Amino acid sequence: MTNLLNENNYGLFFKLIFLGLLDAIGIWASVLLYFQGAYGFIVALLLGAATINYVFLSDRTYPIRYMVPGLIFLFAFVVYPIGYTFYLSTTNYGTGHILSKQQAIESLKGQYYQPEDPVSYSFEAYKNNQGDIKLILQSNTGDKTYLTGGEKLTEVNLGNERFVDSDEDGTIESFGDYELMSRTEVIGVLQKLQKWKPEANGVALQMSNLTTFDQRISRYEYLEERDRIRDRQTGELFRPEEGTFVSTTTDRSLEPGYKATVGLENFSRIFTDPMITGPFLRVFTWTFIWAFMSVLTTFVLGLGIAIILNDSRLRLKPLYKGLLILPYAIPAFISALIWRGFFNTNVGIINTKLLQPLLGLSPAWFQDPLLAKVAVLIVNLWLGFPYMMVVCLGALQSIQPELYEVAKVDGASPFQQFRKITLPLLMVSVGPLLIGSFAFNFNNFNIIFLVTRGEPPIVGATTAGSTDILISYTYKLAFGGQGATQYGLAAAISIIIFLIIGTISAINFHYTGALEEMSENV
Amino acid sequence: MKKALIITLSLTLVLGTVFAASAKKAGVLEIWTDKVRYEILKPITEDFEDDYSVDVELSQINYDDIRSQFNKAAPSQEGPDILIGAHDWTGELAQNGLLEPIIMSEDLKEKFTEVSLDAFTYNDNIYGLPYSMEAIALIYNKELVEEPPETWDELMEAARELTNPEEKKYGFVYPGTGDPYHTYPFISAHGGYIFKYEGGFNPDQLGLTTEGALKGLRILDKMYEDGLIPQGIDYSTSQGLFTEGDAGMWMTGPWAISGVKEAGIDFGVMKLPPMDGNQPKPFVGVNGFYLSSYAEDMVLANEFLTNYVATEDVMTELYEEGNRPPVYKPVREKAKDDPTTAAFLESASVGTPMPNIPEMNATWGALTDKLQLISQQKQEPEAAMEAAEEIIKEAIGQGEY
Repeated sequence: MTNLLNENNYGLFFKLIFLGLLDAIGIWASVLLYFQGAYGFIVALLLGAATINYVFLSDRTYPIRYMVPGLIFLFAFVVYPIGYTFYLSTTNYGTGHILSKQQAIESLKGQYYQPEDPVSYSFEAYKNNQGDIKLILQSNTGDKTYLTGGEKLTEVNLGNERFVDSDEDGTIESFGDYELMSRTEVIGVLQKLQKWKPEANGVALQMSNLTTFDQRISRYEYLEERDRIRDRQTGELFRPEEGTFVSTTTDRSLEPGYKATVGLENFSRIFTDPMITGPFLRVFTWTFIWAFMSVLTTFVLGLGIAIILNDSRLRLKPLYKGLLILPYAIPAFISALIWRGFFNTNVGIINTKLLQPLLGLSPAWFQDPLLAKVAVLIVNLWLGFPYMMVVCLGALQSIQPELYEVAKVDGASPFQQFRKITLPLLMVSVGPLLIGSFAFNFNNFNIIFLVTRGEPPIVGATTAGSTDILISYTYKLAFGGQGATQYGLAAAISIIIFLIIGTISAINFHYTGALEEMSENV
Repeated sequence: MKKALIITLSLTLVLGTVFAASAKKAGVLEIWTDKVRYEILKPITEDFEDDYSVDVELSQINYDDIRSQFNKAAPSQEGPDILIGAHDWTGELAQNGLLEPIIMSEDLKEKFTEVSLDAFTYNDNIYGLPYSMEAIALIYNKELVEEPPETWDELMEAARELTNPEEKKYGFVYPGTGDPYHTYPFISAHGGYIFKYEGGFNPDQLGLTTEGALKGLRILDKMYEDGLIPQGIDYSTSQGLFTEGDAGMWMTGPWAISGVKEAGIDFGVMKLPPMDGNQPKPFVGVNGFYLSSYAEDMVLANEFLTNYVATEDVMTELYEEGNRPPVYKPVREKAKDDPTTAAFLESASVGTPMPNIPEMNATWGALTDKLQLISQQKQEPEAAMEAAEEIIKEAIGQGEY
C-alpha cells in the first residue's frame, strides 16, 4: 500500500473502476456463456480478464500495459478467425452436416413411427389446488380409458361415482379435488404436457395437438457404449463414418449427418478434383493479368492526373480534385452495378448513346470473353484511379523542387526529368502501395462478382467463367448453387488463397526493404 | 475492500439479469417472415394471440437470407419455431435435420391440392404447410399483341413482327439470359426434365440430354439465332422494357403484376402456348410454412398451422392480401374470379413442382452457364447440355451441393 499512496490517487480510483467494470462484464458474460454451454469461451474470457487485471495491478508489467489491449484485439480479430478457418477446413461442415454429433443423435431419436393400427386418445386435463395436473385419456376405439399424472397409466371406469358429470354431456367436470381445465389453461401448461410420455401396452403416448395423444414409437436408439445407432423398425445398425451414420449391412445412411473432422480431405479434393484443377491454370493466369493490369491502368491514369494537378499554372485545383475523387467516394457496390447496366449490350447507354450513334458499333460486352475482360478493367479503372491520384499527389509534393531546377540547368527535357527524377523518387513511397494494390485486386471479389459474375461462361465441362478470378471461382465452387453451402471446402480454399496472398505480401516486405536501401543511397 | 464491494455489486447485477432472462413466458411462438408477408401475417397472428392467449413474435427477415440464417440459427437454438419459405428448400433443411414433419389429418390433406403437398414432401414426410403457388406465364401488352398467340409458332410470328432492335422494340422478352427457372418451359415442353420424378425426385436420373429437352432448346436456340429474344436481359431490364411498352410479350411470374399495373399497361395473362402441340410445363414454386425441429412449443406451433392457418378465413386473407394463386381448395374457387390469378393458376396447374431435393442446388450454376452458351450461339444445345450434365453429375458425386 505504501507505494500506492505515492501515486496519484485519482488514477488509482479510475483504474479500479475500470477494472471493476471490466470484471463485472466478464463475469456477466461468462454466466451467460455457461448457460449456453460454451465452456471454451469462458476459459478464454477468464484468462483474458485475469491477464488484464494482472498487467494493470502489477508494477513489474508496467511496460506492456499499453500493448495488452492491442494484443487482445489482434488475437480476437486476426489469430482466432485464422485458427477457426483452419479448423473448419478440416471438417465436412456443409449441407447435411451442420449439427453436432450430439444434436444429430437427438434429432434421430426424435424421429418416430406409428405402430400398425395406431390408436389415438382424446384427453381432458384436470388440476387440483396444489397445481398438480392429471389427464383422462379415452381411446378412439372407445374401449380404453386411462388416468395419468405423467408417467403411469391407470385404467379407470368413468362410471365410478367419484367422476362427476353433472350436466351429463359425457365430459367429466371433476373428480376428487381435481377440476376440469379450460382450453386457455391447457395452453398455459402445453410445454409441460408435451414432455409427458405415458406408456400403454409398451407403446409411448405423446401429445400431438390440443385434444389428442397419439402412439409414437421412437424409431432410432443410440447405443452409447458401442457408438452405434439402431433402427427399431428394421433392426439395422448404423456406425458413424465421417459425419454420417452408415448402415453396417446395407448401403443406407441416415439423415441428418453431423459436423465431423475429415482431416485434409478438403485440401486433397482441391488438388485432385478435375472439376477444380481443370480450369485452375486458366483462372490463375487471368487473376494475375487482372491484378497487374488493374494496378497498371489505375496507376498510369492516377499519376497522369496527379502531375497535371501538381502543375502550378493550373487554376481551380480544389474543384478538379473534388470531382476526381468522386468515384472513390461512391460505394463500390453501387457504382459496379451501375456500370453493369451501362455495359448492357441492348439497352446500356455505352452502346445505345455512345458507340452506336458515333461509330455504328454495338459490341456484345458481356458475351465476348475478351470484351468482358476489358469491361471489368474499365470499371476497376474508374473505381481505382482516384486512390492512385491521391497517393501520387502527396508523393509528388514531397519531391524537392531544387532537383528540377538543377535538371533544367543541365538541359534535361521534361520527359528526362520525369524519367530520371519523378519516377524513381515516386517509386520509393508509392512502390509498396502498388504491391499492396496488387494484392487487393488479386482478391477483388466485389468488382468481378457485381459486374460480370465471372461470365461469359467457357465452353466445356467447367464452372469457371472467362472473367472469374481465383476468389470468385472458388466462391462458385463452394457456394455454387442457390443456398448450397460447403463451408469446409470454402475454408480450405481460403487457406490456400491466404497462402498465395501471404507469399505476395512477403515479397512486398522484401521489396520494400530493398527500396528503402536504395533511397538511403539517393 | 473497495474491490470486494464492486465485485459483489456486479455479481448481484449479473445474477439478476440472468434470472430475469431465464424466466421466459410460456407459450411464445416465434415466426420468421419476409417483408411482404410480414404485413399480411401481422393481423392474423394478432387474432391468434387473442384466441389462444399466447404471444407471437413476428420477425422480419430479408427473403433471400431466411434459409441461410435459419441454417445457422436453428442448431444453436436461436432460430424461430415457424418460418416462411419456398418448397424447394425442403430437401436441404430436412437433410440438415432442422425440420419437423407437420402432423396433418387425412381430412386436412384433402383440402390442399395434391401438387402443393407433394412439393413439400421429402422422404415421405410433409415438411411444410402450403398456402400459395406460383408459376410463370405469358404476360402480353394488349395494345401491341391484339390476338394472344394460340401456339408457340404464332408467338414467334408475333415476336418477329414486333421486334426492331434499331428502335429498341422487342416482341418477346424474358428475364435472365440462361436463367434455368425461366427457361425450364423450353426444357419440359417435349418431355425433358432436370431430375426424373418417380414419386420423389431421383438425383441420379438426369434428363437434360433427352430428346425432349433438346427439342425445346433447339426452339430457344432458333429464337436467339433469329434475334427474337434480345441478349443479356436480366429481370429488371425485361421489366423496364415491358412496363415502358417496348416489349409485346413477357414470360414471367405473378410477382411482376403489381409493377405492370402501376405502369398503366393494358395487359393480359395466359398460360404458355403449346410448342408443336405440347404444353410447356413451367416450374411450380409453392410457398408455405415450415416447422423447425428446434421449436420450443411443438404442439402450439402445430396447432397454429393446422388448426388456425389452415382454415378458410385465414387462407382467404392470405390470398386476398398476397394475391398469389391459393392451394387451399375452398379458396381456389374464389381466386378464379380474377382473370389474372386464374391465368397464373392455370399455368401452375399444368406445371411441374421444382425439385425439392438438395441436389438441385448443384444444377443452377452449370445450367445457367450452358444455357447462356446456347443463347450466345456459341454452342449447340446437345453439346451444351452434355457438358451441363457432366458438371452436375460430378458435383453430386462429390457431394458439392
